[in-house]
Amino acid sequence: MIDVLLKIIVFGTVVGGIWGLVASGFSLIFGVSRILNFAHGAAFVCAAYVAFLLSGSGFNVYLSILAGLAVSGLLGLLVYLLTRPVRKNEVMVIIITLALALLIQQILLVNFGDKGISMLPLVQGVVELNNVKVTNMRIASFVLAVTSLVSLDLMVSKTSIGKKIIATSQDSEAAMLIGIDVEKVFILVMVLSSILAGFAGILYAQIFAISPETSLKALIYAFAIVILGGLGSLRGSIVSSFIVGYILVLTITFLGARWSEFVMLLAIVTILVVRPTGLFGVEE
Amino acid sequence: MKSILKLFGVLMILVSAALPVVIPEAYLYLIGLTYLFAIVVISWDLMVGYTGQVNLGHTTFVGLGAYIAALLQTPMRIGIAIHPLAAIILGGLAAALVGFFIGIITLRLRGYYFSLVTAILPLVFMQTVFIWRDVFGGEEGFSIAGYSLLDTTLSKYYFSLALLLVSLAAMRRIVKSRIGLRFMAVRDSEELAESIGIDTTKYKVLAFVLSSFFAGIAGAAIVNYRYTVGPELYDIPLMLLVILSAVLGGLGTIYGPLIGAIVIYLAKNWWLRDLIDIASLPINDEIVLYAILIAIGILMPRGFFHELRERIEEKA
Repeated sequence: MIDVLLKIIVFGTVVGGIWGLVASGFSLIFGVSRILNFAHGAAFVCAAYVAFLLSGSGFNVYLSILAGLAVSGLLGLLVYLLTRPVRKNEVMVIIITLALALLIQQILLVNFGDKGISMLPLVQGVVELNNVKVTNMRIASFVLAVTSLVSLDLMVSKTSIGKKIIATSQDSEAAMLIGIDVEKVFILVMVLSSILAGFAGILYAQIFAISPETSLKALIYAFAIVILGGLGSLRGSIVSSFIVGYILVLTITFLGARWSEFVMLLAIVTILVVRPTGLFGVEE
Repeated sequence: MKSILKLFGVLMILVSAALPVVIPEAYLYLIGLTYLFAIVVISWDLMVGYTGQVNLGHTTFVGLGAYIAALLQTPMRIGIAIHPLAAIILGGLAAALVGFFIGIITLRLRGYYFSLVTAILPLVFMQTVFIWRDVFGGEEGFSIAGYSLLDTTLSKYYFSLALLLVSLAAMRRIVKSRIGLRFMAVRDSEELAESIGIDTTKYKVLAFVLSSFFAGIAGAAIVNYRYTVGPELYDIPLMLLVILSAVLGGLGTIYGPLIGAIVIYLAKNWWLRDLIDIASLPINDEIVLYAILIAIGILMPRGFFHELRERIEEKA
């Protein structure tokens, strides 16, 4: 009993950290530009594929990972460019980012199949914790994810760039009036958030297998996390990503992986009924 | 101007009624299926084009209608065999009921919750097919051969043409009525609509229930048409095909999505794949369709029906 519980806590924390990277970027993009970026999961998957393919064909692992992160950043830029002409048209923004997400998924499927890939872990070895084996890679992933999340939070809450981001998310027109280049903030947030998602994808690929379909899965978890945390609240997303992580691991342990989408929907619906603004959200 | 359009409409109905005389059966089968697809697209437009709420899970209701009808009319599955027409109507009602519950929860909140939740729905319902494999038949679905409403290609063709015309007339009536005006008021400005006493949540939910009902009916009809039901009726490629057709035709016009549906469905199932095979590119037909959707969304977000109407009105 104790080791099952311990297992759930350990794995839930690792998974929560990884999904937190995806969801916090999704939330940040929405908060600043009011764009629901359905292509966010594509950045997650693409980075992993690029890193996997490059390192597989003999390039240095760290350089391959950097290339993967760069590709996910470019994807963020692409989303910015595609949504820019129709930003005022909410319907089209949703449709265009969703179409882009599926376009990328299909390209990956056609070229690399649906089998899924996984990378060799950067760190080897296993730690035993009260009969529960935890690979060092999982611990490293957790540390890296939390470090990134904390530095993102510090950047947004402490630096002058962060102040610009907050100002833009509160009122982009007012931000423009006081001389903030809102377009630059949009680009920065979209590229940075996509890189975070890409980083999560690379970490994920070292622990689990990643396939083109994972992008949709990542998106669903991100939805659940941002709704639980409150749409547009960065800290809310970070905290609720761990809650969702535990729920996920619980579901997979006791019901099986097929039920995870089900449980996520149930969680979202429950939150919307009980507390639609999420745990940390503010009324719009 | 209006009388010309009306004349054109009557002419189109006559032409489609006369098609079986000139067109071989294999193509007739495809065109009949296109009509059923058109009902799905128009019902999506009823929600998205008229109330401005982006429903990303419309195929949930297509699949629900299809599975409910198939289960109810085939005795081998759950031991029930009611008349196919009753099964089709119950399929539509079941879809409407699910739409009602989802709508009540998500549409009372303003903003993006509706899109987020509907985006997840098809994936969840697809998993039900795998979880309860012996009822729903897993990834292969199951066949209703021998228990379908329709047997010959000709009867299938006329049935789907009739269903399309009835649904089209019903949905047109809805959007031209006072209810339709309220839908559009909600779309154009929720605050303003509320300030003149429109219960916006009520009308959004109403639109969603109606839209889900027609999608369910269409799904149930599709099963009776092709005798098989499978999880691809829930799946996202179908959803994107619906969105592409409606956006191409022009949201909030009913007729635009009808034309878009016919063009896109025939193109996808008739010659698009052959064209890609000939060009031997490392892509599939879906990639082409998604790219077209992105291009239309950016370059012509209002669809060609709006542009056409403006051109005509300018000349008149």
